[in-house]
Amino acid sequence: MSEEILKALTQLFAIISKQDGGVTEGERNFVIKYFKQELDTNTVKEYIALYDKFSDYGVKELVPAEDEDGGKKRAKKRLTNVKDSVRTLGICRKINKTLNQKQKVIVLSKLLELLAADRSFTPQRMEIINTVSTVFNVPTDEYKLIESFVIEEHSSKLNHEDILIFDDEMPPEGSKIKFIDSGLLDGEIIFVRVKSVGLYFTKYTGIDEIYLNSMPVKKGSILQFSPGSVFKTPKGAPLYYSDLVSRYNSDKEADKISFNVYGLEFKFPNGDIGLRNVNISENTGKLIGIMGASGAGKTTLLNTLAGLENPSKGEVLINGFNIYTEKDKIEGIIGYVAQDDLLIEDLTVYQNLFYNAKLCFKGSTKEELDKRVMEVLESLGLDRIKDLKVGNVLNKKISGGQRKRLNIALELIREPAVLFVDEPTSGLSSRDSENVIDLLKELSLKGKLIFVVIHQPSSDIYKMFDKMFLMDTGGYPIFYGNPVEAVVYFKKASGQVDSEQGQCHTCGNVNPEQIFNIIEARVVDEYGEFTNRRKVQPMEWHKCFQEEHVLDRKEDIKEKPPKTLKIPTKLNQTVIFAIRDFLSKISNTQYLAINLVEAPLLALILALIIRYKGSHDMEYIYRHNDNIPAYILICIIVSLFMGLSVSAEEIIRDRKILKREKFLNLSRSSYLISKLIILFSLSGIQTLSFVLIGNTILEIEGLNIMYWLVLFTVSCHANVLGLNISSAFNSAVTVYILIPLLIIPQLVLSGVIFDFDKLNNVISKRGMVPLIADGMASRWSYEALAVEQFKGNKYQSGIFEYEKQESINNFKAAYWIPKMQELITATNSLLEQKNDSTKALAAANLQILKSEFLKDPYTINAGEGNLEDFKNISIENYDESVSSRLWYHLEDSKGFYSLNLVNAGEAKDSILYVMQQRLKEGENLKELIDRYSNDQLTSLMKNSSAEERIDVENGEIIQIVDPVYQMPKLSENPLNYRAQFLASEKPFFGKYFDTYVFNLAVIWLMTFMLYISLYYDWLSKLIRQFSNVSSRRFKRK
Amino acid sequence: MRNLYSIILSITLLVGCGANNASSSESPQQLAGSVDPVQEEASAVDDDIINDILQSIPSPLEISLLIKEVGSVYNKADLNDPGRVSNYNTNFDKALNLGIYGTDLGYSNIYNKNQDALNYLNSVQNLAEGLTIGQFFDYATLKKLAESADEDLEALLRTTTANFEKINYHLREQKREYLSILLLTGGWIEAVYLTTLVHNRTKNEVLKEKIGEQKIVLDRILLVLDVYKTKNGFGELITDLKKLQSIYDQIEIETVYGQPTMVEKNGVLVVVDNTKSVIKISDRDIDSITSLLKSIRNKIIK
Repeated sequence: MSEEILKALTQLFAIISKQDGGVTEGERNFVIKYFKQELDTNTVKEYIALYDKFSDYGVKELVPAEDEDGGKKRAKKRLTNVKDSVRTLGICRKINKTLNQKQKVIVLSKLLELLAADRSFTPQRMEIINTVSTVFNVPTDEYKLIESFVIEEHSSKLNHEDILIFDDEMPPEGSKIKFIDSGLLDGEIIFVRVKSVGLYFTKYTGIDEIYLNSMPVKKGSILQFSPGSVFKTPKGAPLYYSDLVSRYNSDKEADKISFNVYGLEFKFPNGDIGLRNVNISENTGKLIGIMGASGAGKTTLLNTLAGLENPSKGEVLINGFNIYTEKDKIEGIIGYVAQDDLLIEDLTVYQNLFYNAKLCFKGSTKEELDKRVMEVLESLGLDRIKDLKVGNVLNKKISGGQRKRLNIALELIREPAVLFVDEPTSGLSSRDSENVIDLLKELSLKGKLIFVVIHQPSSDIYKMFDKMFLMDTGGYPIFYGNPVEAVVYFKKASGQVDSEQGQCHTCGNVNPEQIFNIIEARVVDEYGEFTNRRKVQPMEWHKCFQEEHVLDRKEDIKEKPPKTLKIPTKLNQTVIFAIRDFLSKISNTQYLAINLVEAPLLALILALIIRYKGSHDMEYIYRHNDNIPAYILICIIVSLFMGLSVSAEEIIRDRKILKREKFLNLSRSSYLISKLIILFSLSGIQTLSFVLIGNTILEIEGLNIMYWLVLFTVSCHANVLGLNISSAFNSAVTVYILIPLLIIPQLVLSGVIFDFDKLNNVISKRGMVPLIADGMASRWSYEALAVEQFKGNKYQSGIFEYEKQESINNFKAAYWIPKMQELITATNSLLEQKNDSTKALAAANLQILKSEFLKDPYTINAGEGNLEDFKNISIENYDESVSSRLWYHLEDSKGFYSLNLVNAGEAKDSILYVMQQRLKEGENLKELIDRYSNDQLTSLMKNSSAEERIDVENGEIIQIVDPVYQMPKLSENPLNYRAQFLASEKPFFGKYFDTYVFNLAVIWLMTFMLYISLYYDWLSKLIRQFSNVSSRRFKRK
Repeated sequence: MRNLYSIILSITLLVGCGANNASSSESPQQLAGSVDPVQEEASAVDDDIINDILQSIPSPLEISLLIKEVGSVYNKADLNDPGRVSNYNTNFDKALNLGIYGTDLGYSNIYNKNQDALNYLNSVQNLAEGLTIGQFFDYATLKKLAESADEDLEALLRTTTANFEKINYHLREQKREYLSILLLTGGWIEAVYLTTLVHNRTKNEVLKEKIGEQKIVLDRILLVLDVYKTKNGFGELITDLKKLQSIYDQIEIETVYGQPTMVEKNGVLVVVDNTKSVIKISDRDIDSITSLLKSIRNKIIK
């Protein structure tokens, strides 16, 4: 209190006490006592002198002597009154400028208390106090209430709902007075609530020795009953501030909530116990603090109570519903404010709240939501900064206290009945801390049940809690009850002096540090040095606590917990999530710019670098650019990379927000689909710009849509893959380290860099894409793009079928038949040698011949019914006549295939002539080919660099050349889709499907599977399983 | 050389008959059903005759050797540009130009121009692949020969000839003789064209006579080409060559018969045929042949 104010107060005291008969000794003593409380001894004298001067103390004695001229005296007196009134007004205005309403009410009560000291409530004095109350803007009825509370000596004269008595006698029937039973007590303890400022005053009318905060209470004196205070009567139970407040609030239309915890135990995945035998029982409207040394398990307790972690033993019931097993019943009841910020950094304060509200209240109009948001913002003093971006810790836009309040606001807006707050004051200034706890206190008074983990609270904050739950290392509960009592309990337990006093006599401060000093007191060794050993082990404290403490079990409330939450439909949730995400993304200009510029820039650089002009060409010709096959691969890798990197951080970034929103029971699929919408759109834009620029520069004509569709598909696949790892791993760094692990196999198994035929024999079989590569989107997309670019271009599309026939028939005639004949010759010569080993080789050869004949279309068509001959090929019935029959059959088929070859070649030529004729004047076929066909790609598709064109492996003849023309055989298993790499058609369900369509379908199917895995978080579960096993193993060591 | 030819001829005849048999036997018409049925050409001339004629057309390499003997300087610009290989897209074009490149390959090889030879080798391989006859090309050996510095002409001629023979043989076997004749025609045109070029510079009488001699070859070529005149592209080529033929028609070749004599050569008795052809060819004829051939060739190599 400033000197100025104290002076003003002194004057007020003086003015009041000098009215109507002047200062009594009692009043003067009261003032002196008050000064002593506020000031040091030297200054007290100074102020007493001041008081005496203003109140004419000592001068008064002379006045009765001059009683001759009564009228003069009366006139003078009136004059004094007017003068005093004017002065009072002046003083009050001065006070008005500096003190807040609460303090003014306290001043007012002090004035009344002054009168109560000697109980001389004269009209003059009352009038001045009345004036003061008017100037202070104290509501009249409240002033009247305080006045009558001070004046009346018994509660029977007071009939007001803001009056409460703590007595052994119930107030009469029909009285509005509230009552708390005190046990046997002389007189009564009367409380009054000043509703507008939330203050409580009390006075005692009896003669028993009772203590307020361990200080004896004088009969009739008016005292403030501040938070954390406790009344102790000789016979009955103590009365705590919180009990009083909840009694006052009991008729309020608050939601009825019971919160019962039975023997809760929590085990960490590695087997350590985090909580032991926690029992709590609370109901509506309490603010409960959780304290403990660091590592004692405070946050674990909070998380377990909130249902974020499942306990290994015990249960938590809210209104009788188990929060772990009956989650649906308590939906929206629990709110959780984590220690970290759970804000969306790129949205404004308002947007953060607005979208949160939107997710909580289905059916509310925009105006209603806006109103609600603004109300919450105002009540938390955040309305001024509502349009500021939240920013992050490194790029601060709003202060720490504001962030914390916003975090709380996010939970408040949906009004959960039970709120858990983890260290709301950490990192905040003491002022901000107090504001935050004030806010929580206010909420609890409104009927919320609030659990707060708190660390090193100041005295004021500490006293604001209704209950304190103390924990010791190893998850042992060691105290549960009134906060101030905790100090007393531990002082007593450790045998300290003045153990009865929880708080300081004079200032009322509590030192919570004391508690931990006692709990963690260390043993001193013989040299006076502290050792590492504690005097009292956590176990012992726990035992002690269990012996002393009897839990007052609150009854379970039988009704369903109140629910304000109205969750929107899944579709609406998706829309809200998507809009919120979109807004957040577009407000981050850096992110947006990089994502949009990345693709076209890469395309530009890449395409310009590989725009190669052949040495014979005058200008760039697409056909002669040898880099096209590599370009296709790079396109795919770029799409994969962009898709992965853009999505890899998505869920990690949202993880905190997801943790908060877990209590809303929002739909995961809505969340994921909103992510997909945003990411797929971004991928669509990125790949489109990439294709347009890359293909334009490289003059790849007419294939943009085809390219885009493949790259978009690949990018979407990578998006979902990225979301999977984002969901499974817990830091962005880990995820980015993982990206190469995902990309490099895609590169290696794309089929371009390493020939599938030349991989480790364990995984690959010649003439077939290895199964391991079938899991790679790169292989499917590369094949799709390469095949489609080769056969779907304007030139090749006309002649592809004929070239295919040429290739098939040529292969048969030029390679297959000679190979078969070679096998026959080899078999014959092997059989001539007539020993067992050669016989086995011959048998193997015959097996190949047999299976090849049965696959050969000519044989099948020509031999209808005659096929038995070929089925019967075996070492037993093979002789010279069979050999020559087979040989001539092959000769026949050679004629057939040759004829087909000639026909196909000529047909192709006719098509080309027609194409030539259809071209416009001045154009020729060559230009068409230059524009649409690429030599290097053609060479890749025909595998023309292969030295061997045919090979025998695993009992069959394998075609190595012309993979694009080779028709994969239809397997007996309809699900078998396997074919050689770059096949233009895929067998599936007894039909052939175009590779482009088939491969895209495969990638989308894989993407869908990844989505399922994402939805159920399989990867995350797998990793958790794995880490559990490894941590246990580590522990065992 | 001639011996080699005769051996190949006999093999060809043998297999040719076999192939003939095969085609006449019952064969299912369609394999995969997607090829338009193309009517089988009814050959007006017997296959054997065609083969006979094909065999009698001299190897372009002989002319190349002759040119080198005359002492002409190698001129890269005289040959077709190997980079033009991508211009040839139909089987017709591919086959004709494969012939032309074959001659150029041999020519550059004879002059030991290794890089050029390798370029032609690439083009040759490219076209051969396009015609699905790449496998008969001993690319590795040819490359080795082209890269080696020593002039192993004998090996070169042997390999090149063997390759072309193999290709011809394969094409015939697959009943694609029409490609064979195009291959030979292309090779022949390039060889004669080079001869006219060098003759133009040197006015060498041997070359002049060589050009005149081609009358007989041209007649034979046209005879075979005529068989396939309904096929795409053949019509134009035949027309062009007929124009050339009309110039050649003005040339007279007189055969002066002489008695064969026996001469001892390296201790072996060899029969020498003393019959000689006398070719009456005017410079004007040569000029018009030169210019017409140039235009025909330019049309082919585009």
